[in-house]
Amino acid sequence: MISAYVSHKKINKKFYDFIDILKDAGVPVSTAETLDLFTALGHVGFDDRHVFRQTLRTSLVKDYTDIPVFDRCFDAFFGKKGPAKGSDLPSAVAGAMEMESLRDEGLSEQDLDSLTALLDDFIESLDDAIFFERTYQEILTLFLEDPVVASSSGALGMIIFNTRSRGQHGPMGDSGQRPDETINLNQVMLRQISRRVDERKIGTQIKDREQYLLNKFIYQLKPDEVKEMKELVRRFGQKLKNRISLRKKRVKHGGIDVKRTIRKNLQFGGTPFKIYHKDRKIDRPQLVVLCDISGSVNQYSRFMLLLTYTLQSLFSKVRTFAFISNMVEITPLFMEMNPDTALNSIFGDTDFTYGWGSNYGRCFNMFVREYSDSLTSKTTVLVLGDARNNNQDPGLESFIKITERTRNVFWLNPEKRHLWDWNDSIASIYREQCTEMREVNSFIDLSEFIDKLFTR
Amino acid sequence: MFQSVDQAIASLEKEKYICSKEIATTVYLAMKMEKPILVEGPAGVGKTELGKVIASSLGMDLLRLQCYEGLDEAKALYEWEYAKQLLYTQILKDMLGSMLSNEKTLADAVKKLSGEEDVFFSDKFLLPRPILMSIMSKKPTLLLIDEIDKSDSEFEAFLLEFLSDFQVSIPEIGTVRAAIKPFVLLTSNNAREMSDALKRRCLHLYIDYPSQELEEKIVTLKVPECSSHLVRELVKSVHAIRALQLKKEPSISETLDWAKALAILGRDVLDAETAMDTLNLILKYEKDIELVKKNAGKVFVH
Ligand SMILES: Nc1ncnc2c1ncn2[C@@H]1O[C@H](COP(=O)(O)OP(=O)(O)OP(=O)(O)O)[C@@H](O)[C@H]1O
Ligand SMILES: [Mg+2]
Repeated sequence: MISAYVSHKKINKKFYDFIDILKDAGVPVSTAETLDLFTALGHVGFDDRHVFRQTLRTSLVKDYTDIPVFDRCFDAFFGKKGPAKGSDLPSAVAGAMEMESLRDEGLSEQDLDSLTALLDDFIESLDDAIFFERTYQEILTLFLEDPVVASSSGALGMIIFNTRSRGQHGPMGDSGQRPDETINLNQVMLRQISRRVDERKIGTQIKDREQYLLNKFIYQLKPDEVKEMKELVRRFGQKLKNRISLRKKRVKHGGIDVKRTIRKNLQFGGTPFKIYHKDRKIDRPQLVVLCDISGSVNQYSRFMLLLTYTLQSLFSKVRTFAFISNMVEITPLFMEMNPDTALNSIFGDTDFTYGWGSNYGRCFNMFVREYSDSLTSKTTVLVLGDARNNNQDPGLESFIKITERTRNVFWLNPEKRHLWDWNDSIASIYREQCTEMREVNSFIDLSEFIDKLFTR
Repeated sequence: MFQSVDQAIASLEKEKYICSKEIATTVYLAMKMEKPILVEGPAGVGKTELGKVIASSLGMDLLRLQCYEGLDEAKALYEWEYAKQLLYTQILKDMLGSMLSNEKTLADAVKKLSGEEDVFFSDKFLLPRPILMSIMSKKPTLLLIDEIDKSDSEFEAFLLEFLSDFQVSIPEIGTVRAAIKPFVLLTSNNAREMSDALKRRCLHLYIDYPSQELEEKIVTLKVPECSSHLVRELVKSVHAIRALQLKKEPSISETLDWAKALAILGRDVLDAETAMDTLNLILKYEKDIELVKKNAGKVFVH
């Protein structure tokens, strides 16, 4: 069990800190869950890492898509190694033991407690900006200069004073104090501070990384980032799906169905005992996705398709097509394998090209000729591409046919708006026919767009 | 009740259920804390089975409520036995007649009669369904609410009072509270997301496919005729197969079926040829079988 000198209160604080980290990382934790955790902790020991971890996980995390994030936070906060001898709160205990070494410098139990409390309070009071912009040494200096800290008295006050002046006079200071004492204190406090600062950053760093990737221009993603993104897209897509389906459940029931209510209540002389609501039809759009997979935009198409298939069950029907200068239906591939494998086999395939470069006109003509059956008045069409047609015929007639036969046509253009119509781009020609053409840069843009599809 | 996490593992193993420390921890805590568990995870990882074995291990009564779209209170909570009520009114017709004979107007008669309504809406005519049964039971009871994701969100909302207080309100009778709180397990295949309100009332357990080590234990326990050598090779292959990008991954029950079949065939090693011939036992889709065959070198030892 926990060593005696790490008091209960300090351990409880550890758990609150951990919950804050989870929240920073984007895992929601309510008061009910926090209370559950403390009840649960009363029933288990900390000496078995699996049990300890699961106790936290089972009471705090209610969405399985958050489990990987929980695990990362847990490893970072409680340490990655197996059960430490005696305790599984390595950082709390290691920190306390380190403080203990200051006893050799003449600090009493009480001094140690007040130093710990001072450090905790100080760290608590700091702005995020300081955590991310200052070095540990700078934060230590701030700590030593803090008026509350500086006014400490007794042995603690002495040591703090000496450490501070030593810092000001450089390592070879001439304060006349034994140098090893202040060196030790300086190092211990530096480690204490770095530990606390690192801990507090865990959640924010995970979240920041996610936000960074989701918002990064897709064409700028490096190969290892693309790999990381795929995992993230799955998690994020799952969340998006859950959110949309929950929202749809809520609107499932429309207003009161007056006719039906009166009719059904005739047996009670027309007094409406039982109210009947209109069943609002759940709106599950049919989706047709046309993706340009030529070099300039293919990374966008990958993520679009990955997202589309993660969300597949939200639509009543999804058909996907890929093109460069040939239009090819790729729906069956996704039925057979998981999206990622399907994507690889698509991009390895060669019959997308006919002649040289993208040819939107030829592809729209082909689409109307061969796949018109996919177009109904309930269909929403998404086109993903930069509309760079290599100066060939735009196939406008066919494109107009597509818009006429469907409910909506949205065009997602990965190119900067001010470049539309430059060079061989014929964005405006298509844009005039679409419900909307919008610029998409990042994965967030793609997912926000999909999200909106369901609120329109 | 289980005395510790380790004891839970040992007790469930006696019921031929192998569980990880994670599963046992949640089960142990939920009992101690008197909270329901929401169990999620892919098909066939033993979510339903977990409920059954806990009940048999602890000698609890098992009540199972299978959810489906349209499941309502009448099927989950209680119904009035209309037929019985009707029968009694028929039998008691004379008695009712004489009772009402002194009343002068119809209104008076109705008033008199409604004074006796309680007789007809008492628990004599109440037909309890699993949830009410679990509350009224005098014995320790495990209520398994299976595949809650298949029910409507209205039903989920209705469950909330029961899950937090183990009580339900019946308008004609009043509030019925459990003398012995039932242990409640809800399972879900993630067909839809559960509401936050429901999740707050539960501990959460995500069961994933077991580790190789645990799956070997499961096979050994359930198919003892399978040699330990074969068990190891077979589980290893199943894990390699799950790592491929399949339409439908083989679950634990498929591993068990495969083990049984190979034991019947008298195999002691899993040679590629036998494996290929029996793949349809663990894979549903032709495409998946083809994919495994393509990767045979990676998947099979021999
Ligand atoms: N840990 C285990 N130990 C022993 N047997 C197991 C275990 N897990 C699963 N099984 C076996 O696998 C079979 C399938 O389990 P079960 O029906 O409980 O899965 P499930 O998760 O409820 O699936 P579904 O989501 O399809 O309802 C069971 O009959 C059981 O024999
Ligand atoms: Mg089941």
